[in-house]
Amino acid sequence: MPQLKVPIRGVNPNHLSQLEYALTFVSEDILSYSVDRVNLTVKVDVKSDDACKKVEQKVNELVRRYEHGESGLTTHVYFRQDRELPVIDAWQGLLERKWITPVGEGHTVLRGLAANLVALLEAKINTMFARAFNAEREYYPSTILCETLGRTHHFTSFPEHIDFVAHLKPDLAVISSFESQCREDGWSAEAHKGRMASHDFAVAPSCCYHCYEGMEGWRLDPPGRSVTATLGCHRYEGANHRSLSRLRAFTMREVVWLGHPDYVVESRHKAEDLIVQWARDWELAGTFETANDSFFTADYAVKASFQRQQHAKKELRLDIPAEGQSISVFSSNFHGTTFGKAFNISLGDRPVTSGCVGWGYERWAYAIFSQFGFDSNLWPLKLREDLQSHNLAQGQ
Amino acid sequence: MEINEIETRLRRFVRQHYSVPETDREFSDTVNLFNYGYVDSFGAVDLYAFVEKEFSVSISEADLVTMPLNTIHEISTFVAQQQTEKP
Repeated sequence: MPQLKVPIRGVNPNHLSQLEYALTFVSEDILSYSVDRVNLTVKVDVKSDDACKKVEQKVNELVRRYEHGESGLTTHVYFRQDRELPVIDAWQGLLERKWITPVGEGHTVLRGLAANLVALLEAKINTMFARAFNAEREYYPSTILCETLGRTHHFTSFPEHIDFVAHLKPDLAVISSFESQCREDGWSAEAHKGRMASHDFAVAPSCCYHCYEGMEGWRLDPPGRSVTATLGCHRYEGANHRSLSRLRAFTMREVVWLGHPDYVVESRHKAEDLIVQWARDWELAGTFETANDSFFTADYAVKASFQRQQHAKKELRLDIPAEGQSISVFSSNFHGTTFGKAFNISLGDRPVTSGCVGWGYERWAYAIFSQFGFDSNLWPLKLREDLQSHNLAQGQ
Repeated sequence: MEINEIETRLRRFVRQHYSVPETDREFSDTVNLFNYGYVDSFGAVDLYAFVEKEFSVSISEADLVTMPLNTIHEISTFVAQQQTEKP
């Protein structure tokens, strides 16, 4: 098997993990890859000798996005809580207890205590956040118009992770031949060839886009409006899918604010204080810190650096000792007037400012099992009390 | 250069470059240009490039993270300090 070694000496060390994440999207001719942080090279196993030259060109093109520039990625840590944690393989433990079942790449069924935890999170966010901000509950479709994603600049920020939705062409001959092929040979991706209509929808990659498109043309009264919703979302992340920490299909809860800049900024700060309080109460080991999105575009450095300078994205990251890293379970985002302008939502004579906070439920559950194990009687006191109160209220 | 002169030049640039109408009552030297949506991520690159060229100062990554450089007044104060500290 041919192997390439591409030097990455010019890459800003702060960007190495982002480069490693992005490598999965470089070429279908790559079988596997690794980043050698000591010798500063990317090692790539390629399918064939013929493909080597093209793969090398593509890897070099990607590497250039992360090379030194004026922009760096400074992290500001607002909160840190350390604990002595055991190393628990939560994924294996959850599998053994049948509290999760993988059902395809990055797709997992949750049940038992894992499902119980997700229900607790939903209820806790209702009382701790949605009520505090008088957020109005909305319910969204699982899919979203590609046109809407275009207007939110999603295709020019994260084009790599969109799961498009398609149906068969509305044509009797096409539908009949598809049905016949599936009857005779069983389903395979081959059966789609030449039979699919064009893609006008994608599975929603984020919860709050529906909120903005649903409010198109609205004129708000001061100070603005708060909305909350929960949605199953999709992001394709290639070889990066693993455990419950990076799912392709996951559940996102959001609280969104649209209105006067002061209202959005103050609400966001209040929500950040609440999430730090929550992390303290449940004795979660991790940090609340500045972050940036994994923009998969040539202008990555500019966008990422600006997000960090402006503290436009912050994340609560919880330690996963078994993986030797932390995962983001909550993010706080400030959008400025991007969505107000895109969807003509205004307050007075100005486009509204917006911001949101979001929780990834499966990641929360995974972090809790990773830090505290599977016996809820041994969990931190406040977490245990919250779970017991929730179960009592549910009649469990 | 006096801070008033810096503010005037900067205000003129922001109004022209980011199409801020004269009727915008919220626009001022102390409004947060980013929070209020006058300047976005790409606009910020233009803004800082203008400041560096127009006033012959340099803005480092550390400055952007540690200094409040979000309003016309804050940026002007920073420029005035940089110019004073120059040998």
